[in-house]
Amino acid sequence: MEKFLDFIVRAGSLDRRYIFLVIALVVILPLFFPLGLPIRPTTSSQDVYDAVEKLEAGDKALVSFEYGPSTKPEIHPMAVALLRHLFERDVKVYITCLWPDGQFMAMEALQQVADRQYNKVYGEDYVLLGYRPGAEAVIKGLVSNIRKVFTVDARGNFLDDIPMMANVNQVGDFDYLFSASAGYPGTVEWVQYAADPTGVTMSTGTTSIQVNEVMPYVQSGQIVGILGGMPGAAEYESLIGQAGIGTSGMDAQSVAHLVIVGFIIFGNISFFVERRRSKKY
Amino acid sequence: MNGSEIFGAWVAVFLTLGIFSYLYKDNPFYKISEHVFVGVSAGYWMAMAFWTQVQPNLFGRLWPTPEGEISGFLMKAWYGIYNFFGLILPSVFPDGGIDKGHGHDPHFMYILPFALGIMMLLSVASKLSWLARLGIAYTVGMAAGLRAYAFLNSNVLGQIKGSAVSFVDMPFFSLTGVSIFNNLIILVGTITGLLYFYFSKEHTGNFGKVTRVGIYFLMISFGASFGFAVMGRISLLIGRFTDLISYGGPTYNYASLWVLLVMIVLLAVWTFKGDKKVTG
Repeated sequence: MEKFLDFIVRAGSLDRRYIFLVIALVVILPLFFPLGLPIRPTTSSQDVYDAVEKLEAGDKALVSFEYGPSTKPEIHPMAVALLRHLFERDVKVYITCLWPDGQFMAMEALQQVADRQYNKVYGEDYVLLGYRPGAEAVIKGLVSNIRKVFTVDARGNFLDDIPMMANVNQVGDFDYLFSASAGYPGTVEWVQYAADPTGVTMSTGTTSIQVNEVMPYVQSGQIVGILGGMPGAAEYESLIGQAGIGTSGMDAQSVAHLVIVGFIIFGNISFFVERRRSKKY
Repeated sequence: MNGSEIFGAWVAVFLTLGIFSYLYKDNPFYKISEHVFVGVSAGYWMAMAFWTQVQPNLFGRLWPTPEGEISGFLMKAWYGIYNFFGLILPSVFPDGGIDKGHGHDPHFMYILPFALGIMMLLSVASKLSWLARLGIAYTVGMAAGLRAYAFLNSNVLGQIKGSAVSFVDMPFFSLTGVSIFNNLIILVGTITGLLYFYFSKEHTGNFGKVTRVGIYFLMISFGASFGFAVMGRISLLIGRFTDLISYGGPTYNYASLWVLLVMIVLLAVWTFKGDKKVTG
């Protein structure tokens, strides 16, 4: 028994680089050998799905891209899944970006979904308004008059020349709002400056780390549903019946979590054993 | 697959593995990747802000394409300044004004933000740096005013409205068991959590017991945040590994494998030679 406890104490002071190596392995292996673990949608993901299901063909959805390459693995899969759902229902999609690199994320997602998968027409079915710096000031501007903020879209077309921009002047003209957010400016600012003042139904997709910050808005009903990180994306993919990057990463995610929980338990045992010994001597 | 895409993949692989190499120890690959990332990010953000806001929305409003001939001394002088700028930076100030849909008449009101912006840049000049305070004061004042209302409306009133349960109409008693339980938890958590941050009374006796409950709620909240943070980081790791795996295929000339191999060999050589530049 004493030898076993010795081993636990020694293992507790293991070089952290071995832990990095183990984490790398448990993430890589399921990517090569998928386990096919089941994905069960949570209530908050189901709420986002239901909100989109309530939209009818021709309704207008404003989708904002507030993330970049650094958070792409978490947000991009859910943005792609949401666009698939919106285009599937023939909803008109208007895209803005509060982050500069969000514009490129939006272009990539639109190319994949709108152009290649659904053959949607630019300017009639979807429009990329693009990026404007100014954070909440931009949202405030969109709420009062879109044309004050955007006179041209990301392709340089005048807004008045874009067919689907007719009779769209402010956030209140939209039927649905979705913020794909990785931080500031993002979901919180859209709630404060757009969804709350106008009453437009809003859902969001955020990085995992933001879920705790945004969840109070969901529970109070200020936001209808939240997709949290890669699991949220995987759940949404399962709801729309189109598996994507989110689904393929979930096996690795689950196994890695299991190993990390194991490390935490083991580290705690080692800590308590060591503390007991130091008290003893 | 064209050459630039393959080259881009090799650069992405190098930068990714360069950053990961820090997990072994600080080394030149990490330093290169870190500096490239910071430099490219700063340059990219600045270029995007300039070409999507300053040029079209500021200069485009100050010097829009005029309708017909420019007449009047003031307008000729105004567009004379524009033409002068155009000689220096023709891509920013193209011939005939900037046509970004802001009409044909200059919006002179925008001289004010232009001037404030220039004042903020003057912070680099020691004798004129005091002017920067005006620009900063405007920004801070505007942001404070803009946020105060939004926070009050969404974070205070919206949250109270969302979590408050009316006893007047007695809906509390019509709630299901789970909802009653959740509302009680929110009530206890909010009150004890707030009391924990009340420092005017010593946390002893019954008050100490109540604040101790507040600590437990805070710890549970921090634990949930930590769990979500781990989940997020693993997702990002999966994203990078997914890319590395795809870049490791024949389409990209096995970029991941080659770069990984070269890095491991060089790191091993530096470690064994005890190169002073490689610091542990």
